[in-house]
Amino acid sequence: MKKKPNKLLKHFKQYGALYFFLIPGLILVAIFNYAPMAGIVIAFKNYDIFAGRTPVESIIKSEWVGFAHFKTLFSNSDFTRAFRNTLIISTYKIVFLFPIPIILAIMITDIKALWYKKVIQTILYLPHFLSWIVVTALFLQILGPYGVINNWLKNLNIIEQSIAFFGNNDIFRGLVVISAGWKEVGWNAIIYIAAITGINPQLYEAAKIDGASKMQQVIYITIPSIANTIIMLFILRIGAILDAGFDQIFNMYSYVVYDKGDILSTLVYRSGIGDQNYSFATAVGLFNSVVALVMVLGGNYLSRKIFKKGLW
Amino acid sequence: MLESKSDKIFSLVVYIILSIFGLSIIMPFLNLLATSLSDQVAVSNGSVSFWPKNFTWSAYQFVIQNNQFWNGLKTTVFVTLVGTTLALMVTTLAAYPLSLPKFKARKFFLVIFIIVMLFNGGLIPTYLLINQLGLRNNRWALILPSLISTYNMLLVKNYFETLPEALYESAKIDGATEFQIFIKITLPLSLPTLATVALFYAVGFWNAYVNGMLYISTPSKMPLQTYLQTLLNMAYIPAHELSPEVAESLSTESIRAATIFSATIPILVLYPFLQKYFVKGLVLGSDK
Repeated sequence: MKKKPNKLLKHFKQYGALYFFLIPGLILVAIFNYAPMAGIVIAFKNYDIFAGRTPVESIIKSEWVGFAHFKTLFSNSDFTRAFRNTLIISTYKIVFLFPIPIILAIMITDIKALWYKKVIQTILYLPHFLSWIVVTALFLQILGPYGVINNWLKNLNIIEQSIAFFGNNDIFRGLVVISAGWKEVGWNAIIYIAAITGINPQLYEAAKIDGASKMQQVIYITIPSIANTIIMLFILRIGAILDAGFDQIFNMYSYVVYDKGDILSTLVYRSGIGDQNYSFATAVGLFNSVVALVMVLGGNYLSRKIFKKGLW
Repeated sequence: MLESKSDKIFSLVVYIILSIFGLSIIMPFLNLLATSLSDQVAVSNGSVSFWPKNFTWSAYQFVIQNNQFWNGLKTTVFVTLVGTTLALMVTTLAAYPLSLPKFKARKFFLVIFIIVMLFNGGLIPTYLLINQLGLRNNRWALILPSLISTYNMLLVKNYFETLPEALYESAKIDGATEFQIFIKITLPLSLPTLATVALFYAVGFWNAYVNGMLYISTPSKMPLQTYLQTLLNMAYIPAHELSPEVAESLSTESIRAATIFSATIPILVLYPFLQKYFVKGLVLGSDK
């Protein structure tokens, strides 16, 4: 009985100051991250804003409906469409955009002229720092009815009338993938560039003496050396498959392309904030977060198991 | 060593592809800039490509006289400066104890922060919380929820872990407190990582628009990006604050382009100077 408090006392005497360091962060996380988790109960209620004077009072006074919102989820066509679109858009992004940063990194590290290397890296990383609003504005401008692209296509007699790139269900997903690539492939190359820079230069020297061409060096040295990095990032990327990019879709889509473009997070926004269908929106959001959590944990577990290294 | 022919072709292809990539990033900016500097006739008949036609500053005159733009800029500068400063403080303070192996409770607290990265209450519960706290229409609603990002905290923590323990030991022998060690040893040795994380936070605050859309209803408090977001969906931008002659010579596209470009200038100007830090800081912090 006596020993334990002593031990604790000693611990706090020695490390007490360190707890103070954590206080601001813990308070913020408790209020803005953990408190909303308690708010998830409204997915199991029929939330009525007017049930109380404050949101918390309304939550408490609203009636319980159990899993009612979840039972109807898969018979709700808005939900199934958004779920399908989320998976399809994410898969397109992985298939078309995952390999590009690897190729970019191989190309960038091949460059000898330092000035060019610096300039091209500066340019390629830049779009990552722009908001999706600015990027959308740039694409709206060049793809607009009187924009550069439509003018070129008209001058080349490929089309007669302007293409409505943002309002066409056949084009929208392609537009989403291309603009996401435009914005992020350069930035995503950074980690591969670091991995390639870390390869032992003697490997390349030896290969050169043996007369290996650059292409052979890439295939037999570079790619095997960074294979672990590639596989790890691939697993983690798959884990994030339910994140199809709210900021991007929200700024680029309109009701015309809901069919091919509406994703789970934009549906949550519209039904919750727009239609004030709070309980349904929370249920959709919760479904999204839970499945995403399982995917991320699974990806991280695999990554740890294979490479002894995960996201955290 | 002489390069073989196939290697020369390889290098040439690399230069060509990268240059095309680079141009594809620069060209849309040139197009936006050219649109912002051309008059209405040129813009609406679609003859502006990468160089202004019928050059005019009037779109920028509109931006300069536009109260909504300046109010947005004021809010955004306030949120970015205050937010980044506070976020750096909170983040480094939390990262420090979590980086010390001797601090036995670190695993427990680390888990608390990581859970937040993996799972959240979602949009609606967070929205209701901000209302409950009475933060509606308050600029702190744009700052407080974003003050600590677990990702950035881990980046800092991983870097702190690479600092040699011997430094801490000798400071301890000299009687330094944890806080003194943190301020005088840990932070000054971590500048590249701190610069990287500061850049991430600053860009995050500068680019944030969703919270402004959700919580700010008074136009004078609206952040810049939220204002830009409303411009995206606007078919016609009211130019009533300008004299009729100027307003007539301006197209909606030019106004939008000039506003978007003006709002992006700070990033375009500062970013090249910070680039050398973040590449270093990112690689150092994630290499663990």
